[in-house]
Amino acid sequence: MKRPIREHRARPNLVDCKLKCPLDFCKTHDTLCANEIRIMKNKTENLKLGPYTFQSRLILGTGKFSNTETMIRAIEASGTELVTVALRRFNREMPDDDLCAPLAKLKNIKLMPNTSGAMNAKEAVRAAQLGRELSGSSIVKVEIHPNPHHLMPDAIETYAAAKELAADGFVVLPYIPADPVLAKKLEDVGCAAVMPLGAAIGSGGGLSTADMIALIIRDSSIPVIVDAGLRAPSEAARAMEMGCSACLVNSAIAAATDPAAMANAFALGVETGFAARNAGLMQKREIAVATSPLTSFLQ
Amino acid sequence: MKNLPTWLDPEPWLNGTFSAQEAQDALSAESPNEETLAALLSPAAMELLEPMAARAQAITHRHFGRTTQLYVPLYLSSYCPGGCAYCGFASDRKTERHKLSFEQVETELAALKKMGLEELLLLTGERTPQADFDYVLKCVELAAKHFHKVTIEVFPMSGKEYGELAAAGCTGVTIYQETYHPATYKEMHRWGPKADLFQRLETPDRALTAGLRVAGLGTLLGLSDPIFDLLALYRHIRHLQKTQWKSGLTVSFPRIQNETGGFQAPHPVSEKRLAQIIFAFRICLPDVPLVLSTRESAAFRDGMAGLGCNKMSVASKTTVGGYGSEGSEEGQFDVNDNRDVETFCAMLREKELEPVFKNWDATYR
Repeated sequence: MKRPIREHRARPNLVDCKLKCPLDFCKTHDTLCANEIRIMKNKTENLKLGPYTFQSRLILGTGKFSNTETMIRAIEASGTELVTVALRRFNREMPDDDLCAPLAKLKNIKLMPNTSGAMNAKEAVRAAQLGRELSGSSIVKVEIHPNPHHLMPDAIETYAAAKELAADGFVVLPYIPADPVLAKKLEDVGCAAVMPLGAAIGSGGGLSTADMIALIIRDSSIPVIVDAGLRAPSEAARAMEMGCSACLVNSAIAAATDPAAMANAFALGVETGFAARNAGLMQKREIAVATSPLTSFLQ
Repeated sequence: MKNLPTWLDPEPWLNGTFSAQEAQDALSAESPNEETLAALLSPAAMELLEPMAARAQAITHRHFGRTTQLYVPLYLSSYCPGGCAYCGFASDRKTERHKLSFEQVETELAALKKMGLEELLLLTGERTPQADFDYVLKCVELAAKHFHKVTIEVFPMSGKEYGELAAAGCTGVTIYQETYHPATYKEMHRWGPKADLFQRLETPDRALTAGLRVAGLGTLLGLSDPIFDLLALYRHIRHLQKTQWKSGLTVSFPRIQNETGGFQAPHPVSEKRLAQIIFAFRICLPDVPLVLSTRESAAFRDGMAGLGCNKMSVASKTTVGGYGSEGSEEGQFDVNDNRDVETFCAMLREKELEPVFKNWDATYR
């Protein structure tokens, strides 16, 4: 029995929302660190990945959906402008089985082929080139996981492939372990963003690597996108509050009871987190701040 | 008789008795192990089929999505020098033998391609002059021209031969141990190259070392005590996950079916029991693809789709050829789900599962 599809309300346009703190107001706070000021300045800017800009900061994966129609509905409900699709799911010979063609038809959605299935840099480079040729998109998600069970990314091979593809003119987004040193090395070779994992693909483990992701964000000059592991929109919100530039979500949406509704919820989570980050979260304090200073007796 | 190596021997986990509470605890084990599997395969867990199914389904959705990968077998030859007591192609069966010529292989490939299938499993019996390495190699080369993923279920080979097959476009090998129980293995494999349990046991490791990317393992359910075989199978998988960490592994659950020799399974496994086994494996091996073939009935396959298995054969013939031509008269075993691709996919879609024809690309060779 098919489940009835619910109506989804339009996502709120937070860009014009009063919740977002005007830049002038923020300037009056002299306690903001340089990093926060940088993010404040970016708040009205779009997500930039190489030459491309995106208003939405939610990126969707396209595997695991029960059918193409459900996938398309989820994409539409998410408001995303960038979706990733595995080259191994391109099937030009059988339209019913092809994920690429129905995605390519969507207006205002950019395709990002990924190299899932590649075991090493050589295979990933070849897959990226084929993906670019078939999809016409030069954005590539470099995904190399030699172990096909836990799907953990291979840092060494990913670095080699990313370096070669960036030099070849690709807009490279590497899926990586949450490793701050690797992230900087990938930035140095010309990657457009880095995509550290929050937890294992499909695990729903959430932001188990949060401390490392915070370090990556602190030192990165390119966007940091959490890719893999997110289960709930609140985790996406947390990633954005931490300073991530975007989130990539697949399993959490595809495995939800109502994928389109969950896609919409993730869009709200990402926007809420981003807005909160821009609004300037209050500092965490280990001790209560007394109304009357404890040291007022000191001369 | 030579003993099983320590890394494989299921002995420490046999003969355990499990209470209902212990089976319930195993169902929510955070780090499943041999003990968990033994508990989930125990009679106590038979009462937990519904919660086991729910857990298995949730894990399957999470790891593999709401999809079912499809593959199709193509029997190339029924010549076999083997003496497997349970097999319709054993050398003492009076079945007429057939082998596809390369021209006939091309005809079959064209017919399968027309059906939209992209993952092909090529099968033969044990090594014979009629269907030897060179014959299999040539068939792989032909198939790899048309199909993104070509795998084999033939006879154990040397590392060098597996390397040549990989170079020709072969992605994986299926090699069922049939039974891990040494005495039963000896009884069932009466003569021929398959008679040595240990030579067969080492084959997946050899194939993966030589460059094949995926090994499909399984035991033929019904031959021996299923608890013994399934615990050994689990341990075999766990061992390969450590020693062949870059390789893909899959597990199948073939049950003995009627065949022309009239072999009766000494340890028959009911459908209910088979379901319990599949759920238990899904819970204990959450990221390993589990496969179900057309040996099983349409009703059982429909029920199990998405519940634990994430990969199924479709529209299979177990006769030599049979897709593009009439095929031989007798198959290796009876196919119980005879639906065509369209009908089977319609069922999957009705269950909100996407049939995936292509999940690989020839570029990864």
